[in-house]
Amino acid sequence: MKRRDFLKVCLAGGAAATFGGACGTARAGGSFEGYPDGMGVLVDTTRCIGCRSCEAACNKEQKMPEPKKPFDDMSVFNQPRRTDETALTVVNRYEVKESSRGQMYRKQQCNHCNEPACLTSCFVNAYTKTREGAVIYNGDICVGCRNCMIACPFNIPGYSYSSAFNPLVKKCIFCYDTRLKYGKPPACVDICPQEALTFGHRKDLIKTAHERIRETPDRYYDHVYGEKEVGGTGWLYISSVSPDQLAMDTSLGNEPIISNVKEFLGTVPMVLSIWPALFSGIHLLATRNKDHHDNDTSTHTPGQEDGTP
Amino acid sequence: MKSDRSLQALIPLLLLLAVLLPAAGWGISVPDSIILNKNGALYDQISFDHARHIRVTKECSDCHHHTTGTLVEDPNCIRCHRNSGPSQTVSCRGCHTPDPFSAKSLRDKDHAPKTYHLDKPGLKGAMHQSCVGCHTKSKKGPTTCTGCHPRSAAGDAFYNTGEYAPKPKAGKSGH
Amino acid sequence: MKSLISLGIKTVDSHEKEPGRPWTLTEKLLLGLTPQQYLLQAVRNPFNWFLAVVFAIGIPILLGRFVFGLSWVTHSSNDYPWGMFLGFGLFAMVPLSSSGFQMGTACEVFGRHDLEPLERIGLLNGLLGYFFAVVYLLADLGQPWRLPYPMVVSFGPAAVLFLVAWHVSTYLSVQVAEVSTSFFEWIGFPAGKRAVRKITLGLTVAGIILSTLHQGALGALFTYAPGKVHPLWYSSSFQWLHFFVSSLPGGLCMVIAVSTIASRTMTWRCDERFRQNLDRLTVSIAKGAAMGLATYLTIKLIGIAHDNEWAYLATGWGAWFLLEIGAGVILPLGLFAYGIRNQKLPVIRFAAFTTIFGVVLNRVNTAMITFNWKLPYREIPHWREAVICLTIFCIYLVVYRFILYRLPILYQWRSQEEPALAHAPARETQHTMPAEPIAVPAYRSRLVPETEKA
Repeated sequence: MKRRDFLKVCLAGGAAATFGGACGTARAGGSFEGYPDGMGVLVDTTRCIGCRSCEAACNKEQKMPEPKKPFDDMSVFNQPRRTDETALTVVNRYEVKESSRGQMYRKQQCNHCNEPACLTSCFVNAYTKTREGAVIYNGDICVGCRNCMIACPFNIPGYSYSSAFNPLVKKCIFCYDTRLKYGKPPACVDICPQEALTFGHRKDLIKTAHERIRETPDRYYDHVYGEKEVGGTGWLYISSVSPDQLAMDTSLGNEPIISNVKEFLGTVPMVLSIWPALFSGIHLLATRNKDHHDNDTSTHTPGQEDGTP
Repeated sequence: MKSDRSLQALIPLLLLLAVLLPAAGWGISVPDSIILNKNGALYDQISFDHARHIRVTKECSDCHHHTTGTLVEDPNCIRCHRNSGPSQTVSCRGCHTPDPFSAKSLRDKDHAPKTYHLDKPGLKGAMHQSCVGCHTKSKKGPTTCTGCHPRSAAGDAFYNTGEYAPKPKAGKSGH
Repeated sequence: MKSLISLGIKTVDSHEKEPGRPWTLTEKLLLGLTPQQYLLQAVRNPFNWFLAVVFAIGIPILLGRFVFGLSWVTHSSNDYPWGMFLGFGLFAMVPLSSSGFQMGTACEVFGRHDLEPLERIGLLNGLLGYFFAVVYLLADLGQPWRLPYPMVVSFGPAAVLFLVAWHVSTYLSVQVAEVSTSFFEWIGFPAGKRAVRKITLGLTVAGIILSTLHQGALGALFTYAPGKVHPLWYSSSFQWLHFFVSSLPGGLCMVIAVSTIASRTMTWRCDERFRQNLDRLTVSIAKGAAMGLATYLTIKLIGIAHDNEWAYLATGWGAWFLLEIGAGVILPLGLFAYGIRNQKLPVIRFAAFTTIFGVVLNRVNTAMITFNWKLPYREIPHWREAVICLTIFCIYLVVYRFILYRLPILYQWRSQEEPALAHAPARETQHTMPAEPIAVPAYRSRLVPETEKA
């Protein structure tokens, strides 16, 4: 059973106020490892040459608006960029001291988490983690609260603020509609000349990544970013330098984001079931021998504690 | 599923070796030039000057691994290929598939778990890694896209460059 | 208004203008004034001029937001998806509206009927605060017309926001029901009032549950962003408790603040019972608020100790944190202690305003100022965003004032059915009856300096 489903059950049960907070710890111990056949992409930043072909391919595949600058204009690297409503993937350049090249590039896009924070934070369930491993988005029900953007640990979702009447979250969907569900790799993987992007089953890619590191230890820093981070991501990164040098957040921990929220969610059924009894009881005690309605106001001493919880 | 056909339509840089060696082995028949990127949509095809590269590189194995010429020195390779003779297949395409990520390729990988070279780049990746890697390392030869292959009109449109470059919009500016 | 009363004009506080002649609805709406008189008092109030200026600028911008989209009024930030509308509007308005459930709980559940003169203002403050938090939310949502979606179209029950949406909407209904007793009195529908009174206890307990959960849930929303909220403002285990507990003094201090402002600016509307009990009740409520602040301070420190975040206190963020705690928690706590012990009402009231400032600062800090502390830049909101925030806040003030002027919140409705109840005559003689002859001169005496100021 997936944790999301578990939480749904937990909350639904809580709403009915039929059982207490004990369920909060019962089955939430493990971590959802992702669908067994989930696909992923291994990004080998040692191969990336910063040609921006992936950006161009994504732009065409997803029918994004015309870019501000041509895709062969490398001046965009002068400023770090992030994904937004016009670009679902961007490549950034990083000055790396210990690398022989001095400069490295890293493509970023939605990492397609095993347990996506965007999905778990969405109150209309606009996100779906598909069997193929993609995290897709349903714009028809999105209310536009942008909690997913708050929740995403990688700062990936963008919002089409410029649209007045149909603003939507814009994020990489692994080319799900046009490619992934037909068993094809996403457009960026297809076009990458260097094969810096390797498409495959996530479980195989993890082996591949470790194998590359093992075979050529001089070439790689020994860490597969995304193997464990925030519960594991569909997109994985290996690099010749430590992840933080390529602006990958190394403080995220290995627990999915939803784990942080668990403690609160665990209290919900408790409050729902205990509070009514507790406060009704207090009411009976506090108003014993007294008229229910407003009595003489002077019988209470002015300095009495007002007894808020 | 016609993944091959759609790959050809969608992978603009599908590289093909036009001329292949009829027989393997050093000294038998070495092409002087090879037409590359014959079916490419975004970049024009180019004639690869094989003869010149033979002159400027020390060993065939710099590009051809253990398949021809001198033995490789890479410790990873010599674990198995210390005594491998020249192989029947020398061309890039002989080993590196043009569609490494098609459903069929992935399925083949799944069904051959004992194959050692599972993490083998596709044809396009292998050639680019080889060319760009060597050009960068030796600081000789082109390392940009158009340094090797001129971009086609379709490519200009794809990359929003050249005559398809975005026009600066008058007036309205973003935040 | 004050000077009109001084001229002997009778305000609406019962069904009948004179025996046998009930007020018409128009008269009730116009506070018993003629339209000319009503306009005159409105024009003479300088605060209305301020409002006019704000609305003249703000309303077109507010409408423009819905025509030109969010990018017209905000910086369209993907890094700061929640700007002032939520950072201030939602996250600050909701804790300040916890007064509703607290006053309700104290009066109806704990039997503290001595607090009743302030119960209704507490309930109203809760209702309006929540309502306008939702208005801010509507301004912020990308597709506000889809607000009911989490209730009817698609459910995301694992999301904290789902909880918030359901609880806030349910609680709004509960609060409407709670405040509706005043409305039923005013409109003259005693059956409705009696019906609501019957379920008061149920409504109040529902209010406690819903408030506990969604005040906490607003905090828990930030546990989705453990890396983005600064560690000093973040605690996976305590975040919801921090938000819930700080909302308690926040709401109580709003009652003190609003009753203070109301007793100063609409003295004519406060009846004798309200004015005579105000100081005493303010002290009472201040004690509750001080207890809440002390609890909040304790768990805030526990939160830091729990995650061992002491080192952050030495940074610039730490200084800002200490300022928030110092000016927003410790200072009012000290002032409350001093004010309560020495019965210094001005000190208590000042402390209440300080507490409100502290709670607002905490929410704005969590949602905006310290959010994304790892990013190299801070986002300063677009000026149009600030104008819309101010405009909505002014609409809130206008609605607040509109209701306080009319509904029996600050005064008791004198109705015919009341004497039928056993205890009612006592109250009539105690409070309302003496209020009439004394009230008018009292207004007049207070009126003089205030009108001169105006």
